Amino acid sequence: MGAHTIEKKKEPMSFGQALSSKSRRKFLGFTLDGYIEKFFMIAASIAIVILLLIITFLFREGAGFVPDYRSHIALYRKAGLEYVDLIRQVEDEHKAVTRALNQVRLQEFKYLTSEKGLSISQANEELIAFDEFLKKYDGSRIKLSGLVSSLSARVTDVKDRAIVARDTAVAKKRFLQSSDPEGRAFGESLEVEIIDFDEETEALRSQESDILECNSALEYDLRNLSAGLPRVQSPVGRKKVKAIASGIGEIKENIIETNKKIENYNFGEPVTLISSILGFVFGSSWVTQSFWQDWFGVIPLFTGSMMISSLALIVAVPFSVAAAIYVNQLASQSELNFIKPFIEFIGAIPSVVLGFFGVVVLGEALRSVSQIELLSWVPGFPMSERLTILTAGLLLAFMAIPTIFTLVEDAINNVPNQFVEASYALGANKIQTVFKILIPSALSGIIAAILLGLGRVIGETMVVLLCAGNRIQIPEFSLGLGAYLQPVHTMTGIIAQEMGEVANGSLHYRALFMVGLVLFFISLMLNIAAQQIVRRFRVRI
Amino acid sequence: MNRIENIFLKRTTKAGQWEKCLGWAFRLTTYLIILFAVLIFGEIFIKGGKQVFKTTPPFVEVDFLIEAPETLHVFEHEGEEHRLGNSEYQVFIQSDKSNPISNHSTYVYSAGGIFPCIVGTILLVVGAIVIALFLGIMSAIYLSEYSKQGAFIDSIRLGIVNLSGVPSIVFGLFGYALFVQFFGWNVSLMAGWFTLAFMVLPIVITASEESLRAVPMGFREASLALGATKWQSIRSVVLPYATPGILTSSILGITRIAGETAPIMFTAAYVVRDELPWQVERLSDFFFQGVMALPYHIYVLAAKIPQSEYTSGTQYGTCFVFLVVVLTISLASILLRAHIRKNLKW
Repeated sequence: MGAHTIEKKKEPMSFGQALSSKSRRKFLGFTLDGYIEKFFMIAASIAIVILLLIITFLFREGAGFVPDYRSHIALYRKAGLEYVDLIRQVEDEHKAVTRALNQVRLQEFKYLTSEKGLSISQANEELIAFDEFLKKYDGSRIKLSGLVSSLSARVTDVKDRAIVARDTAVAKKRFLQSSDPEGRAFGESLEVEIIDFDEETEALRSQESDILECNSALEYDLRNLSAGLPRVQSPVGRKKVKAIASGIGEIKENIIETNKKIENYNFGEPVTLISSILGFVFGSSWVTQSFWQDWFGVIPLFTGSMMISSLALIVAVPFSVAAAIYVNQLASQSELNFIKPFIEFIGAIPSVVLGFFGVVVLGEALRSVSQIELLSWVPGFPMSERLTILTAGLLLAFMAIPTIFTLVEDAINNVPNQFVEASYALGANKIQTVFKILIPSALSGIIAAILLGLGRVIGETMVVLLCAGNRIQIPEFSLGLGAYLQPVHTMTGIIAQEMGEVANGSLHYRALFMVGLVLFFISLMLNIAAQQIVRRFRVRI
Repeated sequence: MNRIENIFLKRTTKAGQWEKCLGWAFRLTTYLIILFAVLIFGEIFIKGGKQVFKTTPPFVEVDFLIEAPETLHVFEHEGEEHRLGNSEYQVFIQSDKSNPISNHSTYVYSAGGIFPCIVGTILLVVGAIVIALFLGIMSAIYLSEYSKQGAFIDSIRLGIVNLSGVPSIVFGLFGYALFVQFFGWNVSLMAGWFTLAFMVLPIVITASEESLRAVPMGFREASLALGATKWQSIRSVVLPYATPGILTSSILGITRIAGETAPIMFTAAYVVRDELPWQVERLSDFFFQGVMALPYHIYVLAAKIPQSEYTSGTQYGTCFVFLVVVLTISLASILLRAHIRKNLKW
């Protein structure tokens, strides 16, 4: 080794001597060394500027979202869409009950034909009363539905005109500013429609008595109908009819409330900046490219991300901690030489490959496992979907294991050896040493590892985009653990999926940047928390 | 009559049994992880291997590696099933029209090969790593050797460390906003290079700085005491000893860059591009063109194309090639690091 290094060093030294004799000379106020230092400083500043730029650009693109969303919601209110939504809600609930009634009819028919052994015509005869009720119930909505659709047409027309007017105004301004005379002439020719929202709302107001009347009539109808709910024979059906009766009761109450809201409705009520922020942070729907109204609420995506990450961590943490303890304390040297690099090697598998594996193999495998009769006691089994929280969560757990494993192993390594030796010297066995000494002393490191693993899992994109099912909806938590077998969409997934399709600078585009900001801050918080924990609870000897 | 007890035999106690059980439980969990990994590798290597290798010389499906993706046509002609890529299909249609074809179905990107994707991935990785290493190592040298240590530098350092945990898709958003939109580079190689480079920059800076600091202070002092200038002592004393550590950081960076899909989805990658990257009119076009890339291709194959016996060959084959590329890069850099480290000890 010696000869080799000497030879190597000789050459730069002679060159270096030449350099050093010159380098004391100043050129434009700096020595050569000074220039070299400046060069490195510039490189470092570029790197820092870039890192600042990241934050700046995320904010710059996301910043416009809040005022834009505010005017977006304000238009929703001014044009009367919110007003119509009040009535539409009653209609939707009414429709839901109709659906439930139809389901009961189907069940009852099955029950009568299979259990009671009636023929089809006999069963239909039995159900005549039910059918009549259904017809009457469905019929009670006709007037309301007509009203809703005519009002909807009117308000969407107002909204569309308002949007066209706004866009034309922007275009006109741009054309008028252009240097091209033809463009300016074209700008002059553009006409911006001025929409008198007061006039439009007056028109809506004039129909208010109709609406109220219609609602009251419906309530009256429902009161009569709920007295004459048809009897059914199957026990399941009876339970459902009871639920329907209470559903109808809720509609009645809702109608009374809606009527109050309609009377007190204020079209001019301003949308505050804060409410538009809250609308994003706590909004429970993410609806884009809807003809009616777009909503950008991050909650469905946030719950999706959180559910997947929590599942991934629940699976990954025991595995990686156990593996780390095994490798560090129990494994033989030959096992150690194989296991450690192998698990770290897993970390090099690109996430898109894992996502592909999930789509092709794991999703299908999980579904077929869930269809085994013996496992039907597991909540949510049999699964109806292939790509769910479970599929994505398991793959993410697999991805997180190398990260958490390495960090936990480091943490255990950092526990002073004397602790373990002292424990053995006191006569403790391996289990006691691991659980009473090793894990508690390394706990801060383990928690930090888990937090960093969480950061990695939340930020992962390709696996969730491919394997989480991409349904933008808050999962049904009433299913208990079965909620983990539903498809969801995530914050990272939505950016990856929709970024390529949005118009630059639109509200939707800015909403995606807001989601990016949320992700940015979550990962920042997790990182900072991990550092704090490690610093505060470090074992000192 | 009593059997003589062998006092040298290990006594089995309850605690001892528990210990054994626990040991086995830990061992089992560890090997479960490995088993699952082996399953994934096995699935992709076996099915992908079938697509890439064959039993007759030259044992490698050269066409798959050097051709561009094509649409696969599956149809029946005179009772025989044909699977032809688009170009062959056109020839077939032109030449023989005697009998009509039936049961015709098409699968995009499922024929031909993945050459443009391989080229694109390599271009992206090489460019990004050059930028990231240059900027990252320079900054690390400044931060650890030249800058005055203090609260300001510490806060910058903290910021850099924290940025390394930011999700890659957020870097993708940033790259889209800055390079694609603000600078107007559109979806291009340049935008992809810089996005990927900036994504690994925090990792490269942190790791390089750590390895620079690991060089004992005495080395620098001795060098300076011998009359060397600062730059001389950095170049001939500090850097040689820090190189393995810096290489470690570049390994981390390279594997991350090669495997990432999210940041290049809307900054650099095209689903399909007919021309190869060097088929450009002007030199500048080279930098401002979008490329096809293996990870994005896999995403498209997995998300947009149904699973079937006709498509799975290309899907697994692409995954296999991608996995081999990524693992080769990381293996090569691990070996390189080991080689350099062998000669350095203090």
